[in-house]
Order: sequence, then structure tokens, then C-alpha cells
Amino acid sequence: MLSEQIVIKKESQRSLQKEDTRRRILDKAATVFSERGIVETRSSMVARAAGVAHGTLFLHFTTQEALITAVIEDFGDGMCRRLHDLSRRGDGIHALLEAHLQAIAEREDFYVRLVTEASMLPEAARTSLVMIQSTVSFHITRAAEAGMDAGRIRRQPVHMLFNTWIGLLHHYLANRELFAPNGRLIGSRGAELLEYFLSLIEGGSR
Amino acid sequence: MKLCIACGMPMERREDYPLGDETKDYCLHCARPDGSMQSYAEKVESLSAFVVRTQGLDPAAARKAAEGMMKRLPAWKEKP
Repeated sequence: MLSEQIVIKKESQRSLQKEDTRRRILDKAATVFSERGIVETRSSMVARAAGVAHGTLFLHFTTQEALITAVIEDFGDGMCRRLHDLSRRGDGIHALLEAHLQAIAEREDFYVRLVTEASMLPEAARTSLVMIQSTVSFHITRAAEAGMDAGRIRRQPVHMLFNTWIGLLHHYLANRELFAPNGRLIGSRGAELLEYFLSLIEGGSR
Repeated sequence: MKLCIACGMPMERREDYPLGDETKDYCLHCARPDGSMQSYAEKVESLSAFVVRTQGLDPAAARKAAEGMMKRLPAWKEKP
């Protein structure tokens, strides 16, 4: 009985340790991707930054594609969770877009790499980005349609509304050295982008 | 908290479930009007249409994206 308990405890410790290592690799990979670029990063750089052997990294992520995809999914989970919670509360489009900006601001360097390198990423990673944008568009569309029904937002195709927001945001992020030489685009220009976008879509009738 | 096996949506409230049936593993968006789960073909169609409507993708690209997204979800992992 006692030996069984010891075995269970050891297995539980191993499982926690494994999860801890996976978490550390994901966090360090996001940092290295942000600094060096996703495409330019080699798995050996990530292993070194995470303080694990190269072989250990491959135990957790069997390919570079799997590692990139997991980092993107991890980023997307945080953003989507936040938008989901706000959406649940019935908050309007202003609050949702603010939360979208905030989620990007917290990982801005990584997000800029992600959207500027998207076309060069492996297919599975590109699918992960489409999944994130699909969730973001779901919540923004829902809030926009409620605003249209209430007469606060002009009737318009929801994909154009969403793409106008993403297009504006990504243009500023992709060229942030021109718009925010301090390197923090959302912090310095996010409020301006949000206010302008809202002025474009607001005002309508039932 | 349960996640829908067919689309990944978090299911926290009774109204998230088809016909309010909280024993189901899929959400109301993945159910037919009678509460049964949509087939793979039906879900590809509805997800593609959603992507076209909300993001404006070309229909063929939207279908490819929908199939790629669905491959990640427990209900469809075994599908081609």
C-alpha cells in the first residue's frame, strides 16, 4: 500500500516536472521568436534559452513545426479566453476591441513576428493563426451585429468591418518603427486607432 | 469546463448545449435542429460559410482553412 502511494507520488511529481519544462520551453520559444524572428529561429537556440538539452526539447515537441504551432496556440488561447469572457458579459464592441489591443500589447513583439512572417510559416502554424482570427472575428462580429440591431453601428458586411480593423492594426504593427519608434505601437497609438475605427463604423439606424 | 469536441467553443452555461442538454459533448452551434451532432460534411460547410461571412475569405480557401481547423478537434481527428 505504502509503496503504491510512493509510486503514485513519484508519477505525479514527474508529470508536474514535465509540464513545468513544457511551459518553460513555450515561454522561452516565444521570447526567442520575438527577438530573432520565427522563421530564423533554430530549435537549438530555444533549447539553450530554456536551459534544456536539445533532445529534451524534442521529447516535448517532435518537430520545429510542432513547436511553432504550440507557441501560436498558447498565445491564441490567452487572447481568445479574454474575448470569450467579455463577450459572455455582453460587453460591446468598444470593450472587445480594447481587450483585443491589450492582448496584443502584452505580446506585441511576438504578434508582429507572427503576422509579418505568416506566409512563410508551416501550414499547421498558418492554420493556428486562422483559428485565432476566426475566434476574434466571431466575437467582434457578434458585438457588431448587436450594435447594428441597436442602431449604434452602421449596417455593413461584417467581414469588411473585421478586415478594416485588422488591416488598420496590422499596417501600423508591420511598420511600427515608423509609427512608434519607441517600439511599443499599441501603447502609443492603440487608443488613436481604436477611436478612429469606432468613428468609421458608428452611427446607424435600426 | 467542457470544450465542444466539434468546434472547441467553451461550454459554461446550459444555453451553450444543444436543446439545453448538458450531457452532450458538443455545442448548440454544432448541432442539428433535433439536437444531434452535425456530420463532418455539414460542419465543413457551416464553418466554411462562417469564415467567408466573417473574414471574407475566398470560398475554396475558407474550406481548406475549415478542414485544417477541424483536424485539431477531437470529433474530427480521424477524418482525412
